[in-house]
Order: sequence, then structure tokens, then C-alpha cells
Amino acid sequence: MLAFVLRRAGATLLLLLALSLLVFGLLYLAPGDVARNLLGTRNVTPEALAQIRARYHLDDPFLQQYWRWLTHAVTGDFGTSIRTGRPIGPLMLEKTGITAATAGLAFLLSVLVGVPAGIATAVRRGRWLDRVLVTVSVVGVSAPGFAIGLLLLYVFALGLGWFPIYGTGEGFLDSLWHLALPAVALALGLGAFVVKLTRAAVIRELDQDYVTFARGRGLSEGATLRIVLRNAAIPIVTSLGLMVAYLFGGTVLIEVTFALPGLGSLMEESVLFKDIPVVQALTLAVAFVVSAAAFLVDLSYLLIDPRVRARAVRR
Amino acid sequence: MAGIDERGVLSRRGLLKAAVTGVTILSAATLLEACGAAPAPESSGSGGSAAEGADTGKDIELLRVALPGSLSNLYPGQESGILNYYVAGICMEGLVGVDTSGAIVPALASKVERTSPTTYVYTIRDDARFHDGSPVTADDILHSIEMARDAKASPSTASYWANLDKATKSGANEITLSSKTADEAFGWIPSNVDALWIAPKAAWEKAKNQIGTAQSLLVGSGPYKVTDFAPDSHVELTRVDTWRGTRPKVAKIRFEFIADDNTRLLAWKANKADMSLNVPLAQARQWESAAGTRVVYAADRSYAGLTFNVSAKPFDDVHVRKAIAHAVNRDAIVKNILHGRGQVATALSTPEQFGGLWTPDQATKELAAIPQYAYDLEQAKKELAQSSVPNGFTAALSYPNTGPHLGTAALAFGADLKKIGITLDVKELPIEQWLAELNTFPPLSYMWYFNTTGDPGELASWFLGEGNPAKYTNATITDTMAKAGAESEPAKRAALLIEAQSAQAADVAYLPLWWGQSAIALSSAVGVHDYTSYTLLANWPEHLYAAK
Repeated sequence: MLAFVLRRAGATLLLLLALSLLVFGLLYLAPGDVARNLLGTRNVTPEALAQIRARYHLDDPFLQQYWRWLTHAVTGDFGTSIRTGRPIGPLMLEKTGITAATAGLAFLLSVLVGVPAGIATAVRRGRWLDRVLVTVSVVGVSAPGFAIGLLLLYVFALGLGWFPIYGTGEGFLDSLWHLALPAVALALGLGAFVVKLTRAAVIRELDQDYVTFARGRGLSEGATLRIVLRNAAIPIVTSLGLMVAYLFGGTVLIEVTFALPGLGSLMEESVLFKDIPVVQALTLAVAFVVSAAAFLVDLSYLLIDPRVRARAVRR
Repeated sequence: MAGIDERGVLSRRGLLKAAVTGVTILSAATLLEACGAAPAPESSGSGGSAAEGADTGKDIELLRVALPGSLSNLYPGQESGILNYYVAGICMEGLVGVDTSGAIVPALASKVERTSPTTYVYTIRDDARFHDGSPVTADDILHSIEMARDAKASPSTASYWANLDKATKSGANEITLSSKTADEAFGWIPSNVDALWIAPKAAWEKAKNQIGTAQSLLVGSGPYKVTDFAPDSHVELTRVDTWRGTRPKVAKIRFEFIADDNTRLLAWKANKADMSLNVPLAQARQWESAAGTRVVYAADRSYAGLTFNVSAKPFDDVHVRKAIAHAVNRDAIVKNILHGRGQVATALSTPEQFGGLWTPDQATKELAAIPQYAYDLEQAKKELAQSSVPNGFTAALSYPNTGPHLGTAALAFGADLKKIGITLDVKELPIEQWLAELNTFPPLSYMWYFNTTGDPGELASWFLGEGNPAKYTNATITDTMAKAGAESEPAKRAALLIEAQSAQAADVAYLPLWWGQSAIALSSAVGVHDYTSYTLLANWPEHLYAAK
């Protein structure tokens, strides 16, 4: 068990290292010049431009720049944001709450609605409820989050006035109220994805011989379904783990649409500005969360499936 | 804001309509992205008077302003977008400031004397106090100048101070600035519309290069102080009693940052704001049709034009440049693409930059004296026939994604150029990439420049000086510009600037296309006096009133 955890941690570290090099390289190659972004179209002397470039070490060779970043990063110093002039740690920390709340709310919504809906459609395969839910989920999977966001805003915020149009609100209930529409916009695509995956996994199990046998033995539908669900759980949980990565991608557009000061909008602005230190720190943070989620998913297999547990113990 | 507003939210019965229009908005937005412009509004000319509605004389308890972008740091020396200037300008002062006509006016200095072409003596006023109640001293000002010049504390604006030789305290209430070279534009640097924001020395020291963040809020001597700031969310400013001037009518101003154009329009329609800055021209008609809304236009001192790199083929040939100049129909661009929200540019200087000497109308007349190239495709063909490329050529022209109208205009004159044999390859670039491309001196490029000061020589001194983007040199012009730099008599200086630009027009290294306008939206409950391109850089809340 400990060996398993250590192996996974080592692999995650290697992954993060490779990712940091890749992102740094991509941003280095991306067109644009940080010094120009700071100054705009304004006329500046070449000396002034050179001074700014020197201050951010923009003229150093690529590997040297990366090494400088890495040696600081391993000590926990992710540097200073070029765009805002603030240290990155506190900058990210104050924005994490909003993104975590929106993403968490969207995750909860899509799981709490998506999994039961998926099971219901699988059990009633081919009947009207199945057809309706599958059609709705196809729409949900195909509609882009920001378009859904704008539509929701138009109908529920401007038209009906049930929800605020933008911002974060103050206090727990007010914040929840402000985050409801962004979370729903984010959860629609995600929930549809969960419905489709759950349906496929449950149907696959329902077609197995053991189900026919269980029914033949005279087990009740409820008891049979319990066995089926336990077996269908592994693919469902795996897909939920993958969704964490999707969630972070979705927040970028959703946060811009709803004017939420979270990590997503920070990411958008920093990438456009070529604010490398911020993008690096953000990518690594997201990669870390995704890796952690994958790790938790792996651990959950041990709980769900006794066969995996037996194999892990034997090793 | 308390008070009556005609903008009501839609009734529930209107839900279906709302949903349908929602789809229309989405598709319209996509369409706008695709063709880069909105359908033409029926009206032309001004979009309504700013001062509509009678002044009730009442206070405005809270003014809600929607900002079309996000502020992460309030100090313009760090983050120097135009929105940062609008917010910081009512909180912090410079030695001088600007009035609505574009003239330099005293701020923390009660008097400015130019004792020699390179020496400026500022007398510090004795009745100014910072928001914490402490008096503004010469030491605070000198320290603020030091911070403004420091690339660490003010990375965005430190380079503006390059021409400063030294700043000294020459008396108990006197500061002397001397410049390395005589330059009229130097007088603008110590203003809060350019590169100086004065805070107490103690505040700078406490903030340690972090001034303007939520942890170290701006401290200044202006009519408002920052009372709440959540980066990328909102900022709130409250009227102070330390302000020595007239008490503005607005007690509290809350800026909400709503970067997305569609979301901002929805927020406006839902009556969540009383004022919205930089209304996108492509969306102007939707804003104008919102209930209880006035969209007010004003020239924004922006210049859009073509730059020819005169050292690159085939633009090293003056006939090629003249052929293009004759093939661009500037009147049609302003009328059809800008829908009249702009003015055909005849020079690099904009008419609004001659404040104190000429009104914009007078300046337009004076600048029209510069030789122009009339739209004439026959003439264009003749010029091209005399050039090194009589059969035409292909050239690339890129424009920034933030100015879709530049792209539409390029496609429009590209069609005319095609008729004389020149193929224009127009492409859109993200603004960051476009800025980087300008650094590489492309053979043909757009310049889209927002003048920050009211100095008529701001763009001309760059474009006709050393290191200009056209790699253009002309000894006569260099002489004239040197004289203009040292001339302190405004009328004589203006004449020299026009002389230099007339000489440039003969060589067409630059082809001015249009001077732009920008728009703000006001609710019917708010009025504004003297709305010009400078108002938002001046003490702008002083010009607002509660309207009926």
C-alpha cells in the first residue's frame, strides 16, 4: 500500500516537472513581448525597453530562464506577477475560493443529477424518459458553456430577475445565490456527460449473464440493481475523476462571462499578457489538483472492488 | 442609485420574448465578430447631448459605474490601462492636471514657471492635505517622483521620465524639475494624466512597491479616497472632507468590472449601473435602444493611420505610397464603417490637442491646410505606373483584435487597391501579437494610437523623430521639429508642427486615416457638464449631477 502511494507520488512529481517545462516552452515561443504589453503602442526609447527586458530576464537563454524559475519554485517562491506586480502566492490564494466554490457546486450538481438520471435512463432503456433525457444530454454536451451562460443570464437574471447578473456577493447565502447561475452553466455540459457515461456503464452491466442469473434466482429488482451499480461504479468514478480537468477548462469561459474574479479569468488575462510566472503557477496548481483527483479515484477502486483490493495487497 | 430610472426589467410575460432575443443577441454577437461592425444606426452626428435633463441640485448618494475591463492594481504606474487612469485620477493628484479643454492646469502646484527652456519651477500649494489629514509637503512630492521614475515601483510609466535630468527642492514650497533636452511635452509628465501620482512618503515606504493593491490601497490628495477594493471585482471610492476644491455631488462611486461586452449590456439593461465607460461602437445601437439610456460620444484623441516602412520594398518608392494614398476613400470609411463616429484625419496631431490655443473646430480648419490626397483611382493608377512596381504587388496588413473596425476598413480599401493591381493580405492578430509585430518594422502597418496628453506634438515627435516606425528621415523636418520642441509660444509651436506635418505629407511616410470617437452611456438620472475627450481624465465627478 505504502509502495503504491510512493510510486504514484513520484510519477506525479515527474509529470509536474515535465508539464512545467512544456508550458514554459510554449509561452516562451508564443508571439508577443511582455515589455511591449506593459507599454502599449507608446513611444519608448530602445534603452527603456531594454531596461524592462533586463528586469524580467527576457533576454536570457531559454534554459537559463527556466532554471531560474525552477530553482525558485522548488523553494515555494513562484515569483511576482509581471502584470499586477504582486507576489503570486497571495494573488492565487484570494482567487481560489471563488473558483473552488463554482467548480465544486457544478461538480455536485452534475453528480447529484447526472448519476441518478443516467441510472434511470439505463433501466428504462428505449422508453420515453430515456429518449427525452438522452436528447437533452446531447444538447448539453454540445452547447458551449459561455453560450449557455449568456442564455441563462438573459432569461433568469434579466428576464425573470431571479438571479444577479454578475459579481460574487457577500456572505454565504448571497455568494451561493451569485454563484448559482455560473455553476448551473458549468454543470449543464458536465451533467450531460455524466448521464451518458452512467447510462452506458449501467447498460453494459445489465446485459451481463449474472443479471439474468440473479433475476432467475428470484432476487428483487432492487437487489439486482444494487449488484449492477456496484459493478458499474468503477467506470463512473473514473469518469468523475476526469471531469475535474474539464471543470477547470470550463471555468475560464464561465468566469469571464459572469465577471467572477476567479482563477479562470486570471488564467485568461495572464496567458494573453504572457505573464509567465502566473501561468506556470496556475498550470501546476491545476495539474496537481487533477493528479490528486486521479489518485483519489485509484484509491476508491480499492473500496469499491474487492478484486482490486486483493491484487493490491498481494503485491 | 436612488431615484427614478426608466429602465425596468422585463416582465415575466416577456419571458418568451426574452428567450428569443437572447438567441438573437448570441447570433448577433457572433455575426459582429465575423464582420467586425454593427449595422449602421439611422442617425448621424452626435448621439445626444451629455447635459440632457435638468440639474435637480441634489446629491447622488451612490453612482454605479460599469467598467469594460478588470483592474488588478489601481496604481497606473504598475497597470497603466486607460481605466486605471480614470479611477486613480480622482484619488491622486500630480503637480499639474488637465481641464476639460485639454489645457494643463495647476493641481498640487499652485503655479508653474518655465524659467528656461529646460527648467520648470513648481510652487507647492500650502492648503493641500492627503486623505489621512497630513499636509502635502515638497518631500512627499519628491519621493513620489522618485517612485514614479523607479522601474521597480512603476514599471509601466518609469520610462516616460527618461528626459528628466534632476528633480530638486529649491525652496520650502518649491520644486524644480530640469529636463535633458528642451521639450514642450515635458510639462505633461508631472501630471496624473501622464506619469505622476503623489502619495505620502510614509505610504510609499509602507507599501514597498505594492501600492495600488488591495493590501496597500492608494492614498492621495484628490476628492475621493478608496474605501474598498477587490481586485478583478470592484472598487469603491468615497468623497473626502480633506478636498480643498468644490464638493462634488456624488458621495460614493462604485466601479464594477464587467469585462464581457454582452454581460455588461445585460447588466445595464437590468439597471445595475448608472454610467458605463467605453461603450463598444459595434454595440452602440443596442445600448442606444435600452430604455432610459443616453449614449454620449466624444472625440477620444485617437489616431488611426497607415505607416509605410520607407526602407522596405516596394514602399521605398514614393509613387507606391502616393498610389495607395489616392486609393483610400477616407470619407467613405468614416461614413460607412465608423457610422460617422469619427473624423477624417488630415494630420498626426488630433484637433483636441490644441486646447488653450484653438477649439477642436478651429484646429480642424488649421490642420486641413496640410496637403491631402483625394480619393481618385485614376490618379492612383498613374502614380503606380510611374513606380518600380507598375503591375502591382501583394502586401500584408495586420490589425489588432481589439479594433475590428480597423479590419473592416482594411478590407474596404483593399477592394479599391485590388482595382489598381495591389493585393492586400489583411489579417487579424491578438493585440499582444500585433504590438510585438510593430516592433519588427513591417513594410506596411496600421498605427492605432491613443494620445494620452493634450500636447499636439505627442505623436508627431515620435513619428517624425529618431527611431520612428516608418524609418523615415528628412533633415528639414528634423530641424522644424527641433524648433517646435524648444518653442514655448503655443501659436508658434502649432505653426511649426503643421509645417513639419505638411512636409511629411509630401513624402507620405504616414497616411492618416481617421481620428476616433468613444462613447459612454448614462442613465437618465445622471447628467454631465462639459463632456469632452478630457473630462474623464480631469476631476470628472465634479461634472456630474442628478438629473430629472
